[in-house]
Amino acid sequence: MAKDMPQGVGTGAASVAPARPRASGWARILGWAGQRARLIAPLVTLLGLVVFFSLTTDSFFTTRNLWNGILSQYAVVAVAAAGTTFVLLCAEIDLSIAAVSLLIGVLSAYFWVTPVAGIDFGTWGVLIGLIAAALIGYMNGYFAAYIRIPSFMMTLAMSTIALGLAVWVTQGKPIFKVPDLLRTLGGTGSKIGPVPVPVIVAAVVLLVADIVLSYTKFGRYVYMTGGNCEAAEMSGVNTRQVVALCLMISGLTAGMAGMLNVGKLNGANPQPSNELLIFTIASVVLGGTSLFGGEGGIKNTLIGVLIFGCLRNGLNQVEGISIYIKQAVEGFFLVGALLLNVVALRLERIRTQAE
Amino acid sequence: MKRDDTVPYPSPVTHGSAPSTQQPRPVEPLLALRGVTKRFGGATALDGVDFELMPGEIHGLLGENGAGKSTLMKILSGFQAPDEGEMTLRGAPICFSSPAEAKAHGIGMVYQELSTIGALSVAENVFLGDQPTTRGGIINWKQMNAAAEAQLRELGVRVDVTRRLGALPLGLQQMVEIARIVFSGAEVVILDEPTSALSAPEAERLFASMRELRARGKSLIFISHFLEDVLAVADRVTILKNARRVATMPAAGLTKQRLIEMMIGRDASALAATYQEGVELPPPVEAPPVLEIEGLSIPGAVRGASLTVRAGEIVGLFGFLGSGMTEIARALFGQVQPQAGVIRLNGRPVQVHSSTQAKRLGIAYLSENRRATLFPRQEIYKNVTLAHLDHLVPPLFRRGSELGIAEQMVKRTGVRPPNPHLLAGYLSGGNQQKVVLGRWLTRQPKLLILNEPTRGMDVGAKREVLDLIKGLKAEGVAVLLLSAEPETVMTEADRILVMSKGRVTKEFASERVSKDLLMAHA
Ligand SMILES: Nc1ncnc2c1ncn2[C@@H]1O[C@H](COP(=O)(O)OP(=O)(O)OP(=O)(O)O)[C@@H](O)[C@H]1O
Ligand SMILES: [Mg+2]
Repeated sequence: MAKDMPQGVGTGAASVAPARPRASGWARILGWAGQRARLIAPLVTLLGLVVFFSLTTDSFFTTRNLWNGILSQYAVVAVAAAGTTFVLLCAEIDLSIAAVSLLIGVLSAYFWVTPVAGIDFGTWGVLIGLIAAALIGYMNGYFAAYIRIPSFMMTLAMSTIALGLAVWVTQGKPIFKVPDLLRTLGGTGSKIGPVPVPVIVAAVVLLVADIVLSYTKFGRYVYMTGGNCEAAEMSGVNTRQVVALCLMISGLTAGMAGMLNVGKLNGANPQPSNELLIFTIASVVLGGTSLFGGEGGIKNTLIGVLIFGCLRNGLNQVEGISIYIKQAVEGFFLVGALLLNVVALRLERIRTQAE
Repeated sequence: MKRDDTVPYPSPVTHGSAPSTQQPRPVEPLLALRGVTKRFGGATALDGVDFELMPGEIHGLLGENGAGKSTLMKILSGFQAPDEGEMTLRGAPICFSSPAEAKAHGIGMVYQELSTIGALSVAENVFLGDQPTTRGGIINWKQMNAAAEAQLRELGVRVDVTRRLGALPLGLQQMVEIARIVFSGAEVVILDEPTSALSAPEAERLFASMRELRARGKSLIFISHFLEDVLAVADRVTILKNARRVATMPAAGLTKQRLIEMMIGRDASALAATYQEGVELPPPVEAPPVLEIEGLSIPGAVRGASLTVRAGEIVGLFGFLGSGMTEIARALFGQVQPQAGVIRLNGRPVQVHSSTQAKRLGIAYLSENRRATLFPRQEIYKNVTLAHLDHLVPPLFRRGSELGIAEQMVKRTGVRPPNPHLLAGYLSGGNQQKVVLGRWLTRQPKLLILNEPTRGMDVGAKREVLDLIKGLKAEGVAVLLLSAEPETVMTEADRILVMSKGRVTKEFASERVSKDLLMAHA
């Protein structure tokens, strides 16, 4: 573009500037990278962590640690995080993940050891558990989307209900017998070749979730509802149904995570703990999925779970960190990783007109 | 309307408090930009632009969609930083790092997109950021409400200022935003397409307020695609084209046609029609009615309105703010429930409860509010195809087919830059409007309701888009076209209904109509 074009200023003589070239290849490349900043930034964080822990410890970057210490350990989180991604994408939140997973884990073990109403459900208990998980999730969704109780409150309440039910069903006592199926799917010892089975389960769940989000109309509606709910509604998207279904999916994956956990621990203990909830939401957000909806995805969640897994696993192996301070250090690292994401996104992202 | 002064800029009236207005002639620019360049990725939004604003002038800023007007003003108001170039305020170099800093220096801007907060009250929005407080730092509600009411009354708006802003019609929301800036005491008031959501009476009152501010020595910048308005209120105009300045000149003696020539750079006579002499409506369409509304009433908005739209017919609905047009459209799309009346679609009575159901019935609705239509953080192609995914793509997407449709629509509506992968929020205002309009043109519904479809588009784009809509007639689509802009309904419609205060006051069919005639009934 010639900068020396005459500018007819102050007179009536208007010069006609040449037409601006169409979007150049350069613009496309920048646009491409800009739009993928959300994926590239956490990827850089992950690589940074891997390099850091590989250099500071001897035990981190070993085949054994990668398979058993990270991938296998965080498969449960990955499964729950797959569903949570749907919920965050449509700008809602699910705080009942941990409680629902506990309840469903307990239920599946309970049906395995106890005949209910004279019927010995056996492995079918697992199916019942999955249906119950979806129902609980849908109830969250129904009340959040149709009755308009904020999902924050609704799922918090549901969390209490689910915990209470778990304790009631078991009368507070742990169950030490678990369905063989769950031991196979979730057990750390079960492998196909070198690959732990829970990792395969998590991979399948993530893959299905990714296909749904990226390649189906429903997935698109999730993004658009999160991006601008009013505009989605005015385009004929049934936004309430979308929200309700997303919370249902989250309930379902929480239930699956709970079952895998039961298989992994080889027992079901109705001990309340919010660890899974914190792990899951931290992973999804670390991966770069926006808490405000519409941006992110399963690829982000996969990276996020890996970041989170590497972080915890790696810190464990760094020498000289007192066990008492470990948790605080973990928190600091978490903030650091989040900061990196936010800064990277800010750098790439130009302020939008319609913000 | 005739302007009363023909000097390049009026000699500043000095009963205001601006110190610079005391200077002897020649007057120094109050605010000047030199060689400002701004790039977004690979695209150049501004390319070495100079701009100067004189004290006590109304400066019109014109240019096609995407010419760089909003970007230039965002730089002036501290919302964006230039890549190159400098800025001076009263001769001293200055550089704003935030809108707050610009505001502290007396520069206030009404953005093209509303920046008000729907969940707050009207009064809170008028004073957004600096509510009057008692000595203890607590908001003085009484004082705030009274002041907000007084300011809005000055702009001719009478509303209960304690109401939630989001519940008001778009035009009123726009007036609230304008009131916020105009009465903030700013020395420089920048108005980016303030009238695109207003109807004639509000716009006139805004112009009166602008002239009054000028009389008090303030400077104003006015961006608009309504060229007649700009010629009527501005002292000087600057024209941007393709990121460059084409000219800055006195408005006196300029014509609409001359402006268009400079903006678009091609023969402008076809676009310059003023519609002052009116147009002849075509003979009536003989086809079965698609939509019949009888005695529709919506509390507080519509009182017994009736109308019919036939297949292959464009019915224009013209009215000002508060006429109730938008409520009729919303009722047809299931957003409000009418209290009384019948809606028939293809002869069958229907009750529409949701947008999903409306879509199933073959009704499509483009809202007048861009906040309710655009997905700024999603790609253009996703914005375009959303409403018709069911029909456009197979159950599992193959990117190609969807992209192909979007690309075609982007081309037909003339979106610039024509790259469907760009996030829609990165487009200029007029181009965003082309995208959301394109969403409803990707597939023909039975009944298409368009509420201000050409909002914010430049004269050329408006014409092209209106031609596209006309093309739907041949496909047998029934189109209900709502606009507060006489030109839009006059160029397009087969019949024109005028609405006022919730009633249909006049129907024009196969006769001559003019702007004044329409206004007289509104
Ligand atoms: N945040 C952004 N990111 C990328 N490109 C941008 C951004 N803001 C503006 N642009 C581009 O800069 C150019 C100028 O845009 P601008 O909004 O200034 O146009 P405008 O003259 O105000 O047009 P309109 O009349 O449609 O409002 C456009 O091509 C637009 O796509
Ligand atoms: Mg603009």
